[in-house]
Amino acid sequence: MTKLVPDPNEPKWRSTLKVAMPLNLSYIPIGLACGVLLHAAGFNTILTGLVSIFIFSGGAQFMIASMLTINAPLLSIVLMLFFLELRYALLGSSLSKYLIGTSERFKLIFSVSMNDENYAVNYLKFATDKKWTPREALMVEHYSLLFWTVSNLVGSLIGSALKIDLTVVHFALTALFLYMIIMQVKNRLTILVGLIAAVLAVFFLVLTKSTLGLVISTLISSFIGFALEHYLRKKKPNSRFLYSVKSPGSKEAAVEESDEN
Amino acid sequence: MAAVNHWDTTQHLLLVILGFFVAFAPRYLPIKIFTQRKIPEWFNEWMKFIPVSLFTALVVKDVLVSPTYQFDVVHHIPELIASVIVGLIAYFTRSMALSVVVGLASVFILAVVL
Repeated sequence: MTKLVPDPNEPKWRSTLKVAMPLNLSYIPIGLACGVLLHAAGFNTILTGLVSIFIFSGGAQFMIASMLTINAPLLSIVLMLFFLELRYALLGSSLSKYLIGTSERFKLIFSVSMNDENYAVNYLKFATDKKWTPREALMVEHYSLLFWTVSNLVGSLIGSALKIDLTVVHFALTALFLYMIIMQVKNRLTILVGLIAAVLAVFFLVLTKSTLGLVISTLISSFIGFALEHYLRKKKPNSRFLYSVKSPGSKEAAVEESDEN
Repeated sequence: MAAVNHWDTTQHLLLVILGFFVAFAPRYLPIKIFTQRKIPEWFNEWMKFIPVSLFTALVVKDVLVSPTYQFDVVHHIPELIASVIVGLIAYFTRSMALSVVVGLASVFILAVVL
């Protein structure tokens, strides 16, 4: 465990690497497993590298592997990919306010390598560290891309020689998101929104039988959170839901951003 | 898992290219649109709740929903217990690395034990 002591002279490549490292390391076993599965589905190593760079989404690549093994038609795989990747629109929308003023080229490059996990890392940094810049965020994306692609390539090369329990290694990402949820909690309302999101996610995932449920439940529960907060701040400013929740690990509230508009 | 797919490399390449576009459009368009025009305040207030909602949905998908999209608690006991452990670790240490490592270790041990 490294305690983060900010060193003003530390080069950017190293400070951003430190931020990205927990994510990079959790990508190694999952990337290996993904490479193994793509190999089993008939993808050669070069294509595995390409898919890791250009789609760069664990969920999508696992889905490609499993749909290929059941010989699904091309069009239905692409359609499923589209539903799966639709949630990136939510990531971009919520991150966009931190990217105002960047060049068109930057936005293009930034969005190509944005995915759930590096978004999670970057969103947390943007919300808690006022000095965090889009350039540093892009470096985090590229570090995670590097680790992901290399792990996929290695997985593809060793192929089935490697036995990885997917459900176990996949939990690394689940744990990462759980950590991010805890970091998002700044008042009791956030906890309530999380509970609503959980119920709605189960409901819509089961209802739509696809990852489209993720998008629908996220849109609705975030809107409920927004509406509730608006109502409470206007009508009941002393409501207990607005009490802030402080973690024993830190003296400041987790994500403070409502005050900077 | 045996190779049961009969596609050739060209078809795989086509899949990667099409996959790139369907992944790229939702990534790029909101960023392009919402960084250009003046965003109304209520939109930002709404977007503020996206991370907690989306991360919760992703976790729920992993620990409460089966690959065939059924609500499933029974087969997820190790993950559910490990989730509680990760939550506590994250809350008390605020360390991402520790949360992930302890999470992996506990789900591994629980999967063996249970």
